[in-house]
Amino acid sequence: MADKLLVRAYNVEVGDCVYCRIPKGRKVGGVVDDFHMLIDCGSVGGVDHLKAAIADLENKMLPDAGGPKRLDLLVVTHEHKDHIAGFDPDYFKNIKIENIWMNTAMDPDHPQAGRTLRLHQLATTAMRNLASLNLSLSPELEDLVALYSIDNDSAMEALRETLPTKNGITSQYVHAGMTGADLGLPLNNVTIRVLGPERDIDHFYLGAEADEHLQGLVAGGALFKEPMTPPPAYPTNISQSDFRRLQSRMMSSAFAFAELSSKVTNNTSVVLLIEWKGKRLLFVGDAEWETSFKDGKANGAWNVMWHERKDDLEDPIDFLKIGHHGSENATPWNDQENGEVTEPSTILDSVLPTPQGATGPTAQAVVSTMRKNYQTIPRAALLVELGKRVKNVRNYQAELGSAASSLPKFTQFEKTWLGSPQPWRTDCENALSGAEWVDVWIEA
Amino acid sequence: MPPPGSRDDNRTRLTAAERDGVYAARRFIGNDLEKKLGVRIPFDVYFQDPLVAAERPELAFDEECYVPWEPNIGDGPTSARFAVVDYDGHTETLNAPAVWDRTQNAFVGPDGGVLDRSTTALPQFHQVNVWAIVQRALDFFENGAALGRRISWGFEGNRLIIVPHAGPGENAFYDRESKSLQFYYFDRGDKRIFTCLSTDVINHEFGHAVLDGIRPLYNEAVLPETAAFHEFMGDLTAILISLRNNAFRHFLIGETKGDLSKESTLSRLAEEFGKNVDNKPYLRSAIEKLTMKQVANDQRPHFMSQVLTATMFEITIELSKYYVTTRGATVPEAFWYTIQRMQAMAIQPLDLLPPVDVTFKDYALAVLRAEEISNPADPDDYRGKMIDVFVKRGILDETEAADLRKPHHIFERLNVDVFHDVDTLASSPADAYRFLDDNRRAFLIPPNADVFVVNLCSAQKLTRQARRLPKQILLQYAWREDVALEGPQFGRFAGQSTTMLCGGTLALNQNGELLAWARKPGSELTSDGKAAVAEQTRGAARRAAFLDALVRRIKAGRIGTAIGGDKGLLAKSIQPLLARPVNGAIRFELSPHLGIKDDQDETFGGRAWQISS
Repeated sequence: MADKLLVRAYNVEVGDCVYCRIPKGRKVGGVVDDFHMLIDCGSVGGVDHLKAAIADLENKMLPDAGGPKRLDLLVVTHEHKDHIAGFDPDYFKNIKIENIWMNTAMDPDHPQAGRTLRLHQLATTAMRNLASLNLSLSPELEDLVALYSIDNDSAMEALRETLPTKNGITSQYVHAGMTGADLGLPLNNVTIRVLGPERDIDHFYLGAEADEHLQGLVAGGALFKEPMTPPPAYPTNISQSDFRRLQSRMMSSAFAFAELSSKVTNNTSVVLLIEWKGKRLLFVGDAEWETSFKDGKANGAWNVMWHERKDDLEDPIDFLKIGHHGSENATPWNDQENGEVTEPSTILDSVLPTPQGATGPTAQAVVSTMRKNYQTIPRAALLVELGKRVKNVRNYQAELGSAASSLPKFTQFEKTWLGSPQPWRTDCENALSGAEWVDVWIEA
Repeated sequence: MPPPGSRDDNRTRLTAAERDGVYAARRFIGNDLEKKLGVRIPFDVYFQDPLVAAERPELAFDEECYVPWEPNIGDGPTSARFAVVDYDGHTETLNAPAVWDRTQNAFVGPDGGVLDRSTTALPQFHQVNVWAIVQRALDFFENGAALGRRISWGFEGNRLIIVPHAGPGENAFYDRESKSLQFYYFDRGDKRIFTCLSTDVINHEFGHAVLDGIRPLYNEAVLPETAAFHEFMGDLTAILISLRNNAFRHFLIGETKGDLSKESTLSRLAEEFGKNVDNKPYLRSAIEKLTMKQVANDQRPHFMSQVLTATMFEITIELSKYYVTTRGATVPEAFWYTIQRMQAMAIQPLDLLPPVDVTFKDYALAVLRAEEISNPADPDDYRGKMIDVFVKRGILDETEAADLRKPHHIFERLNVDVFHDVDTLASSPADAYRFLDDNRRAFLIPPNADVFVVNLCSAQKLTRQARRLPKQILLQYAWREDVALEGPQFGRFAGQSTTMLCGGTLALNQNGELLAWARKPGSELTSDGKAAVAEQTRGAARRAAFLDALVRRIKAGRIGTAIGGDKGLLAKSIQPLLARPVNGAIRFELSPHLGIKDDQDETFGGRAWQISS
């Protein structure tokens, strides 16, 4: 096992906490050692799973660094709770972090992310104001509001200030096109490349959406002010109950902005391509796709990569960290399932082709997920499609048997697809054997 | 001295009691006299919108906008059927309402000045602009030249709430649930565009509200064609009302630079109309050459509606040409005559439509039938001309056309098992129900269906020369047939059940004679006999088409639940159909039709509506 590359996806329910160990991937002062990296540590659920994951790293996986344990690289793909909730300095007090990477949209001083940053600030203000009002919201909106949780602030402060200071380092904001020298990792016989986001955040991922005019317009809204303006008196020509119902049926720009901001945040995820002994591993964070690349519009990260980094992306990969907990938006595919060739289906066929002929698939994948309320996260039909293209699959219906029906929303969103092979899922592996992580081994 | 009642002299000459008296008698007074006596009053409204006003000052304001006066017009503006609430859901502020000044017959702004074309920057002018346009549009429908009756809304209550400045967005929509028409605003460059100042947008959304009122069950529309019909209704309203404006018609005709005595000029009119509405993609539809085959099963209602809109526009042009060639009318005369006739020819058929699941063919058949009722001898063969266009567009096929062209009796007896006096059956929904129930066999209603009266009303329509047609009694009835959704093709609804609406519209005249009967059968056999068997075959085909349409909707991800809360809705999340459980079964209902852009380039799949989190 010591010669094989390990990807360990911890079971953190709805979230990502992915550890990767590259054998003999590090060389410092002439000494060759394994390279240990962690991509994200977050969950929308509680922190118990995250703490357990960090404890496992500390006690079992990371090498001794003369007291604390050593983590060579911590990558924070993007600023959503389900990727950063675990960054409490306390949890990492016995871990020496050598490098911290965040995506360049998270750099508050980045000149090409000004509008995106402003959008994010507006959305955060609005969502937090909304949270403070304690109104009833539909479940999806509650989740959207939760993404902007005030807890994110302490995580971000830890990543920008506390952890770097404690570890005697400076956090780095990364983007596509940075060279190995720029990134400055002590790598040995392995390359780690950043395929996304592009440096010009506003141009590629926000485009003309929410341009200055709209942002100016929207910033005048009541929910966007701190503190909020008090609500007005009632109109006199309709009843108060009619008025309240009217208010609940008007289009909320606050929600629209938060949704857009959230989409842009997903699309500015750090996308990593690790090349080790001829193997290609792709970690995509929560990067999304759209039907095609459109210059000047808010693009999906996959389309941007296909447009700007095609040479790096287009060859088949050996491992995929399936994006956004198996969401239908985060892995390009033909979601109409009608056999048509589209830009997204082309990307998938290029990167993770369906094997032809007698040889089975050789690639592997893993998805860190748990179903909450939606059909779309994870999208079971997508997982079945991916199940045809990777070798580490299970027929979870057969293996779980009657226990399958305990999966959340089983009848509506799992049943039809669970009898087909799907790539390993943290939620199903946990249901099967109580496993607190899923290990994928890559052999050279 | 400006003539009384004219735009330049708007003061009331009658006492309040006198005016109320005239108002009570207005049904027997013509428009011109109404204007003179002050029960039809002028308002300054944008003819199209501020952009057009800037580009073509001669078309800036509608010089012919008169709306019915009412005794209880109030601040808001508020009137019998409308309440303007100037609430901005984004800034959470309320603008002061326009104040009604009874003596001036006008609304005044916060400073007491009359709101007119010199005060267009004031939000209160916007309030009046949108109110006057819908007040006029409602009259356009209720008028004898059109439906000839008062119409109700599709919701509980009589006042449609109008929100002129609802918030930022390129949006305008009708929402049954909040009883509202909401108009949003957006910035383009350094200009702020208010949808509440765009007459076409207002009329289009208002058309939805009207259709929802006269055919409330179209709201449960699994068939894309029914959703498309809703769009057609919006476009038709906007087009017919805009073409009533004399200045606009003259402008369009002038632009063709054609010979006013030649019918060929009319062919170019469609093109001019299209050019003129360049920024209004939903009206571009008037010149499309689409046929039914090209839009079959399309999930985009606006795209599909273009076939019907273009068809009716083509009919308008064909009839106008006829007047030029056979009656020696000039192009302007012919076109104006046709536009007036179209108010009857296109709107009166609405009362004959089935109560549920309307298709374009249903409308075509209703148009032809309405013409028969109104003009039985049809010396100019209007029906024949319309049939030709319907066939050309694929809305009727050749067999149906041949059948319709065959000489036949215009009126046939309605076969009943049990006679009911027409005045009694028309007196209340309960009486109408007994009429239906006694005649279940004859009316092909299943014995165990709990049939209900959707609507019962009477109408006094006018035909050419403003002659009164015999009074019409219009009875819409419906029942629900249970449908189990079995199989994986129903996605997350598999294992649940829904209901398929069935029913019919019976139109009788004051003598109890049958005018029209449009039915949507169920798949149950209602009795023995040839008619019942034939009906059941149709019903089974209907049910299959219903399920097929539902599966396509599910596959295309067009069904969801609205995402929102007390503070409003997430626009992006609103899918075309909403699924709502009612009494243990799911109802699929049209959601507020959002957006003022066309759906030509819409992306498919539920992805478009999935929110990123």
